[in-house]
Amino acid sequence: MGYPAFAPERRSVWSVSLKEAGLILLLAVVVTGGTWLLRPQRLPLLADATVYELELEAPVVEIAQARHFFDEGAHLFIDTRPGDPAGRPTIAGAFVIREARFDDDLLALFDILFPEDPIIVFGKGDMLGANNVAARLKARGYEDVQILRGGVSAWQAAGGDLGSAFVPLAAGQQDSADAPQEDTEQESAS
Amino acid sequence: MSRHLSPMELLVLACRLVLGGVFIFASLDKLQNPEGFAQAIHNYRILPPALLHLAAHYLPVLEALTGALLILGVWRRGAALLTAGMTVVFIAAIATALARGLDISCGCFHTDGGHGVGLSLLLRDVGLLLLCLPPLLARQDGWRPFSRRRS
Repeated sequence: MGYPAFAPERRSVWSVSLKEAGLILLLAVVVTGGTWLLRPQRLPLLADATVYELELEAPVVEIAQARHFFDEGAHLFIDTRPGDPAGRPTIAGAFVIREARFDDDLLALFDILFPEDPIIVFGKGDMLGANNVAARLKARGYEDVQILRGGVSAWQAAGGDLGSAFVPLAAGQQDSADAPQEDTEQESAS
Repeated sequence: MSRHLSPMELLVLACRLVLGGVFIFASLDKLQNPEGFAQAIHNYRILPPALLHLAAHYLPVLEALTGALLILGVWRRGAALLTAGMTVVFIAAIATALARGLDISCGCFHTDGGHGVGLSLLLRDVGLLLLCLPPLLARQDGWRPFSRRRS
């Protein structure tokens, strides 16, 4: 009696696949190590982040200057960190625009955030997500956008005021805003 | 001494050879120029800078290894699973780059320029992903060297 071409076998396809895949991954680690050692000019395994500094889409504002702007009250601060902003300390009074929910978050601020407003975007620390949000804001016509160097981590370290984010809800956004967030941006893992 | 391959075995063999060839070819320039590949990865802006060199060293080796194993028919399912996994990661990276409006080179086969990120690239990778299914799921190996069963 013949078997169908894709019939399940006694040993699960997936258990075999995963076992083999694990072995290949380990083998690749060994080969990678070997080839790295054999290279005459080796790149360091951990890259110097400054070598790969982002080509930022907006000017960078340093913490001291940002605190001055904060005290003046003319600038709007935008928290770009992924995930649920509820209960998470951030720069006091900051609005939330996450890259993964950019359109929804921007829509919720449609009567608060205007293209002529001076804006400072910030993330957790490495400016990756903030830079992406800055680029998208500029593409939507927001010209005066700056990126906070060091993000909320540097702000906190410098003794800046922390508080809750201001999260206005547009009509029909209540449900989605309450839903658990599944953003997986790299910055959250850093 | 020899026997004809069934249509399914032929399909699996064809997918293995195409996928293996593509992945080995894709790895060659990256293996020679990890610094350029690190820059290509960096252009996607999805990996922390500190991890760029690790990825630039490891990914080409994994591509070459899975490609070779697919062609040889050794650990076929594991190699096909990893190939599918890498392709899914590539598709996700391209999709996010498109969504963010990044105008960058894909870094798929050449570290200095090459094909720009676009919808055609996305479709090509979806095609590669489909090619992973027969080697992953089929019972038959198709041809493989060093196999006593085939001789």
